[in-house]
Amino acid sequence: MHTWRQRMRPEQIRELSLVGLIVIALLIFGWQIENFLSARTFNRITSSVAIVGMVAIGQTLVVLTRNIDLSVGSIVGFTAYFVGSQLAANPGLPPVMAVVLAVLTGGALGLVNGLIVAYGRVPAIITTLGTLAIYRMLLINYANARTITVDSLPSWVVELSRQTIFTIGDFAVRPLFAITIAAVVVFQFVLAYTVFGRRLYAIGSNPEAARFAGLPAQRTVLAAFVLCGMLAGMAGFLFLARFGNITAVAGQGIELESVAAVVVGGVNTFGGSGTVLGALLGAFLIDLLGQGLLRWLGISEFWRDALLGLLILLAVASDSVILGWLRRIWAAPALRAEVSNEG
Amino acid sequence: MQATKRHLFFAVTLIIALLLAACTPQSQTPAPTSAPAPTSAPAPTSAPAPTTAPTGGVVSATPGLDINMILLPKFLGIAVFDQAYEGAKEAHAELGNKGNLIFTGPTAENSVAGQIETLTNAATQGVKAVMLSNNAGDQIAAAAQAAQAAGVKVVTWDSPIPSAQGESVFVAQVDFNETGRVMADMALSILGPQGGEFAILSASPDAANQNAWIASMKQVLAEPKYANLKLVDTVYGNDQSEESYNQALALVDKYPNLKLIMAPTTVGIAAAAKAMTDEGLCDKVKVSGLGLPSEMASYTLSGCAPQFALWSFKDLGYLTYYLAYGLATGQLQGVEGERFNAGRMGSYTIEKDPTRPNGLRVLMGPFTVYTAENVNK
Amino acid sequence: MKAKLRRLLSWEGLLLAILVLVAAVNANLAPAYVSLNNQINLFQLSIEKIIVALVMTFIIINGEIDLSVASVMGLAACIVAVLFDRGVPMEWAIVVALLAGVLCGAFNGFWVAYVGLPSLAVTLAGMIGFRGVARILIEDRSIGGFPAWFTALGQQPLIGPFPFSLILFALLFTLALIVLQYSGVGRLVYVIGHNAAVARYSGIDVPRLKLGLFIASGLVAALAGVLLAARLGAVRGNTADGFELDIITMVLLGGVSIFGGTGNLAGVGLSILVILNLRNGMSLLNVTGNVQTGVVGMLLILSVLLPNLAQMARERWQRRAVQRKEVQTGVETSVSS
Repeated sequence: MHTWRQRMRPEQIRELSLVGLIVIALLIFGWQIENFLSARTFNRITSSVAIVGMVAIGQTLVVLTRNIDLSVGSIVGFTAYFVGSQLAANPGLPPVMAVVLAVLTGGALGLVNGLIVAYGRVPAIITTLGTLAIYRMLLINYANARTITVDSLPSWVVELSRQTIFTIGDFAVRPLFAITIAAVVVFQFVLAYTVFGRRLYAIGSNPEAARFAGLPAQRTVLAAFVLCGMLAGMAGFLFLARFGNITAVAGQGIELESVAAVVVGGVNTFGGSGTVLGALLGAFLIDLLGQGLLRWLGISEFWRDALLGLLILLAVASDSVILGWLRRIWAAPALRAEVSNEG
Repeated sequence: MQATKRHLFFAVTLIIALLLAACTPQSQTPAPTSAPAPTSAPAPTSAPAPTTAPTGGVVSATPGLDINMILLPKFLGIAVFDQAYEGAKEAHAELGNKGNLIFTGPTAENSVAGQIETLTNAATQGVKAVMLSNNAGDQIAAAAQAAQAAGVKVVTWDSPIPSAQGESVFVAQVDFNETGRVMADMALSILGPQGGEFAILSASPDAANQNAWIASMKQVLAEPKYANLKLVDTVYGNDQSEESYNQALALVDKYPNLKLIMAPTTVGIAAAAKAMTDEGLCDKVKVSGLGLPSEMASYTLSGCAPQFALWSFKDLGYLTYYLAYGLATGQLQGVEGERFNAGRMGSYTIEKDPTRPNGLRVLMGPFTVYTAENVNK
Repeated sequence: MKAKLRRLLSWEGLLLAILVLVAAVNANLAPAYVSLNNQINLFQLSIEKIIVALVMTFIIINGEIDLSVASVMGLAACIVAVLFDRGVPMEWAIVVALLAGVLCGAFNGFWVAYVGLPSLAVTLAGMIGFRGVARILIEDRSIGGFPAWFTALGQQPLIGPFPFSLILFALLFTLALIVLQYSGVGRLVYVIGHNAAVARYSGIDVPRLKLGLFIASGLVAALAGVLLAARLGAVRGNTADGFELDIITMVLLGGVSIFGGTGNLAGVGLSILVILNLRNGMSLLNVTGNVQTGVVGMLLILSVLLPNLAQMARERWQRRAVQRKEVQTGVETSVSS
């Protein structure tokens, strides 16, 4: 009878509570905004969430180990620009090579972060606050105020964001969103079922204990940063495909958006708990709130940020309330069993 | 003992770091660079005629003096500002200034504080003129006044100091009232006499020149000729591709009858055009505004952005340099009615700025309106 | 005592050495650097950030973070401007702005201290939300034309060559130093930052102290926002936008651990001096803003990385020395036997 309760884990409950919040937000917006509950809104949000979602996956891996990566925005910008300029110079570059180049570029920048944090023992916030500025400086000197323009790119890149892989009714699944979803599935699996995934949780929930238990903490943290860089590099490629015109300020602010997605998505900033699915749902919820407010006729442009801030806070707070409530329900049978055993 | 050794080690590494910092490009002329910016806009073919009657002779500045000048854009990394630098370098070489032309700017996130800092330090450094594309609105006025008091001429270009306090003269790329009319005319020509709904996608709510252009456009729209053009909303993309792209799509969703998005910012217009193209909306919603030909060419040819306008930033930098050189060397006083020679661009007059009560300006102009015919030239 | 001395030799000593070096290089390369005028300018240009850095030190040592400070600064500036614009006397406008800062701080503090939400999440929402309230108030306007006494407060020297805000910073620094390093409250800040659970079990009212710190943070940020409005003479919606990262950088370079519990104001004071002098020198040498930020970023990383590497190298060297000694003694014993 209570099998579903026994199968659920706290993290799944958390994801469920996020889905609940998303449904509530959808209902409110759908009630207030004409034509909001449509395939069009779905298409808008899925294409808009693809880039932040991709970065949020990497941010989750890093935050799980009780670290943070604030340099992701600069990595996205650097990769988008670098790959863009390489494609402009060699239009014949095969698509696979372009993606590999983006992932490797991001990975290399992530490697620098990881080495400094894991082997140089510099706190992650210090390291990535520094590389946030350094990578941007490199980009601005490399770009030299030239803009990557749509015209200079091979057509397959700029057309990537217009194509659809398949449609269900009017709901279209676009390549950028599909790539992000694929990455979420892969990393959800990695975190749940691989040794590496378990180590990320173990190190984040108690670094000392993990070290005593003989886990290769340094290597694992390094790997988390490299993966985060690679995912940010991939996001840089998506950024290039979506916007086409890339300047030296590309990707600015994505670091805070990804941190917000992770925090709203229920990943513990002190490490050790959370999932990439949660982070994606967090990114989804924030984007939904933003897009909904943009389309709400009664809401002036100038009210948007105040409401967005309030809604994010409410999401975090109600998530914690709903979570506590669901946890009690979840724990009740076990408690009752214990009580009856004692009696 | 151990500690001293350790500190020596730090000291050495820090010296290296500082040397590195000192060696990083400071973008100083006179290193004659050969290649012009690849994205430079086509220069207007004819110089505009002076608008007011000359009250005295035309001042041709004596070349070959020795003054240091700073060209200060809103922030670095944007193509149009580098085009202005190209123009300023050209004038710097022509005038044979023995001093340095310094091109420096803040980061995009720190633009306001950074511009104020550069202006304040210019006086300390003994720089004689700062050519400023103001991103700080009136917040820079106090720093500009202090710089003027210390003997630094502050010439603005691209974006003025709204109150004109602390500013010698503003080099207006085009007449700000004219900008509103050009945008309204483009809207009318795209939508036709039957008109329709359109919306503005601007930079940030704090951008002084965008706000002035939007205000002038609203005035122009009151004329009967434009009666069928209905401005439904003004939104801000903060000159970020992502935000502008999302805002453009939100406008389309919010106003089902929207026919045109007018974006008086190069970032906004490109992002809006890409968004309309990606969503297959180009037949329904057109895009127009102020854009760079290199970024807009494909959208203009595809019919998504049939018309847009811009001026030459290279000429703007060139003209600004001539004026600032004249003022900083004392050959120009910076008073109304003064005329001066600006090299290849001909002669210009300092006049009252009709858009700012206390301001003086030099009007460059004209607009180049780009269509499928001339966008690739 | 000895431990304290060693600490002084490590972090603060390092910062001091860097500061001396920066000053020497600046004075050599940019002669204008040494003028009194420039030395005052150097503070004046960042005075609002360094005032907020003082209270941020308390927050981070306490194991929390406040990302909303720059938005509170902007909000306070906008409130002063908008109220003045509507004809409210400037004095009252300032009082209302400071009260708004207290409210923002109490709002953050309530969710963090009494509901138990992570401060990163709460103040991230505050960062967006408080800026949004400022936007609602001022929209796309720019408000200036403040009374002369108000702008003079931010722009003119008050006593000798020193402007009001610089004197205020000196007073606040002294006050913060006394409270944090020499008072019971300061000790509690450290204890809670070191281990909040232990602090709670030993009967400390942790939520009350945390709430108090966030209120102080809001108040000081609002004060800094008012000072910024006075210095700039005009207010827009994006006033103080993006200051939070600079402020946090100053505190972290000062040797304050992001995990709370360690660090002190002497370090933060030195780190402020290092960053301001380094930026000023580079600015006088016309180094672009991006390179300036990059160099500060590099300094931030290297200042932690190099001592760590040095220590690791020393540990390895000592271990090897011990091993060598063991081998040698082993040889000696085998010879003697």
